[in-house]
Amino acid sequence: MEAFLIPLSAALAVSIPALATGWAQSRIGPAISASLAEKPELSTTAILLVAIPETMAILGFVVAVLIMLRAGG
Amino acid sequence: MILPMIRARLLGPREDLDDVLAEVQDIGLLQLTEPRLSGVLRPIDLQPSEAREARRLRGLLRDVDALASKVDVVSTSAKASRSPSFASWLRQFRRARRDLDRIETKRRLLEEERTETARLLEFIRAFRGLLPASSGTRTHGYHLVLRGQDAGIVDRLREGLAKAIGDEFVLETAPLSTGELAAVLLVPPADAPRVERLLAQAGVHELPMPEGSEGRTLGQLGPTLATRRDALDAELKALDTDRRARSLDLAPQLSGARAAVEDRLLGLAARENVAATPRSFVVEGWIPEAGFGRLSEVIGRRFDGRVVVESVAREDWEGESAPVVLQNPRLFRPFETITRMVPLPAYGTIDPTPFVAVFFPMFFGLILGDVGYGLVLAIIALWLRHGGAPGSTRRAVAEVLGAGAAFSVAFGIAFGEFFGDLGARWFGMRPVLLDREHSLLAFLGLAIAIGAVHIVLGLALGVYNASRGHPRQAVGKGTSLVMVLLIVVVLLAAIEVLPHGFLTPAVIGLLVLFPVLVLAEGIIAPIEFLSTLSNILSYARIMALGTASVMMAVVANELAGSVGSVLVGVLFALLFHLVNFALGIFAPTIHGLRLHYVEFFGKFHSPGGQAYRPFSHWRPSGNAG
Repeated sequence: MEAFLIPLSAALAVSIPALATGWAQSRIGPAISASLAEKPELSTTAILLVAIPETMAILGFVVAVLIMLRAGG
Repeated sequence: MILPMIRARLLGPREDLDDVLAEVQDIGLLQLTEPRLSGVLRPIDLQPSEAREARRLRGLLRDVDALASKVDVVSTSAKASRSPSFASWLRQFRRARRDLDRIETKRRLLEEERTETARLLEFIRAFRGLLPASSGTRTHGYHLVLRGQDAGIVDRLREGLAKAIGDEFVLETAPLSTGELAAVLLVPPADAPRVERLLAQAGVHELPMPEGSEGRTLGQLGPTLATRRDALDAELKALDTDRRARSLDLAPQLSGARAAVEDRLLGLAARENVAATPRSFVVEGWIPEAGFGRLSEVIGRRFDGRVVVESVAREDWEGESAPVVLQNPRLFRPFETITRMVPLPAYGTIDPTPFVAVFFPMFFGLILGDVGYGLVLAIIALWLRHGGAPGSTRRAVAEVLGAGAAFSVAFGIAFGEFFGDLGARWFGMRPVLLDREHSLLAFLGLAIAIGAVHIVLGLALGVYNASRGHPRQAVGKGTSLVMVLLIVVVLLAAIEVLPHGFLTPAVIGLLVLFPVLVLAEGIIAPIEFLSTLSNILSYARIMALGTASVMMAVVANELAGSVGSVLVGVLFALLFHLVNFALGIFAPTIHGLRLHYVEFFGKFHSPGGQAYRPFSHWRPSGNAG
């Protein structure tokens, strides 16, 4: 059973934050694109705002790695 | 660092005002500020003659712009002409514009004629074999141009002609390079009126013939048209030469005139920053401390002591914001580009550029961390630098990338990576510091440890900034800093890197400092402290992105051996490495910037600095406010 649950947990640990990141970026993207149309000088801020939710996916990846390593996978 | 500034004040007799402003503009170091009006000091309004002059100059500037758009030579000189004569320029430029307009119109007409002539010549070439037949007196000939896109037009025309005049006609077609069809139609003269009606109804037109060609066949026209085409070519070339010569002559004059006009307009605008009494004037402005001596010396020498230059006491401008000039050693200067992408730091706070110059390429190198990729990036950086002018953004970006490449090579040696595990396979390369591919936990620990150092440094800078005017905030930031250090001690003691005896005192220290933090920064402090801890964890991205980078490189290398054909395998591996390299430049840049702007700057950066714009001579970049 563990052989099934451990990889599943690792997969969920990375996939759920990745989906959340995707959702957050899908909301930020159009908003910042609209801002860029009016103020092109915000392009650096735009890149950063889109990059901010990536933290969730990256931390999810770290947790998944830890799950696999701790379980000896 | 942020250069220390002085608020300078110039006082002198009113009659010297224009000369003083001209001298200050020549020196180009003083950023003029709004005058402080008090007592008898009043702002200087522009005289009606000066207001008229400003209007005329703006009109001249519009003329210069209009003319510059017609001149196809760009002069890089931005030196104002020595003895400007605005009125004569106005006349000269308007005359030049009329001449260029005339040349342009003539050129357009000649171009149109040449196009039509070339079209006729092509038509003649297409029907070279048929033309003698069209010149007989027993037939009437039409030269038609049919739209080639309509595939059935020739058949429909034949049908219509057969119905109207029977079989007594000849219709021959040939394709033209324009996609149209050239057609010659021969009919008996008696049928000509009916045929013309039919052609008009079908919307088919005869080829327009040049003037003076009446009674001549196309075959006879050929040599004449060819001669005319050659003459037109020569005329067009002569016009282009004339236009080029005029452009070469005008371009430096235009840039000189523009610089002189802009300079004069800047001089007139500077008068808005002067306060005066009927007999004297006062000008105030900001100047870097190092330039104050020069200003005093030049003004003192030029006006024999009639104009006084003094520095306003710091206490008198404490609350005002001086403009910010960033000045860093040559090695750090390219990283000012990164600092300038966010609002400038307020005057009197810390310039983060030196810290960015150390940590940004380090993060870049930790993530890319590969000798092979680093060398390729270094070549790209050298190429970018080679093409960029000194001081340009391109050169700054190239130098930042170069630093990232150097750190990538250094960390590549530390991690034993050359295009992934290719170094280990080919040259037996071994990791010096750690193996990123297998020691994931060690790499994670390294990333978070670097994050802790970065955040603690940010908090320390925050304490320094806040200590100059916000003591309570300084206590709060200092407490956060000590608590972060204590948490590090607790963690190290818990995993037995430090002796276990450190654990209890560190926890007691945390419990004591917690209420101090709440007292100093309010009830929101615990949440901010938690966010500081999550900021440190955010540096785990260095490990995540670095691991992804090395894994992709290893997969690329394995692809080369796993595909049946060696050639296909190598191509596939190269493509994979290329994608990984592109990601390897993009991801460290974006995430390195993010770690600085969000995590690091958030601890101490005080935005709100105004850029320094000294009153100087106009330059094409327009930064000579």
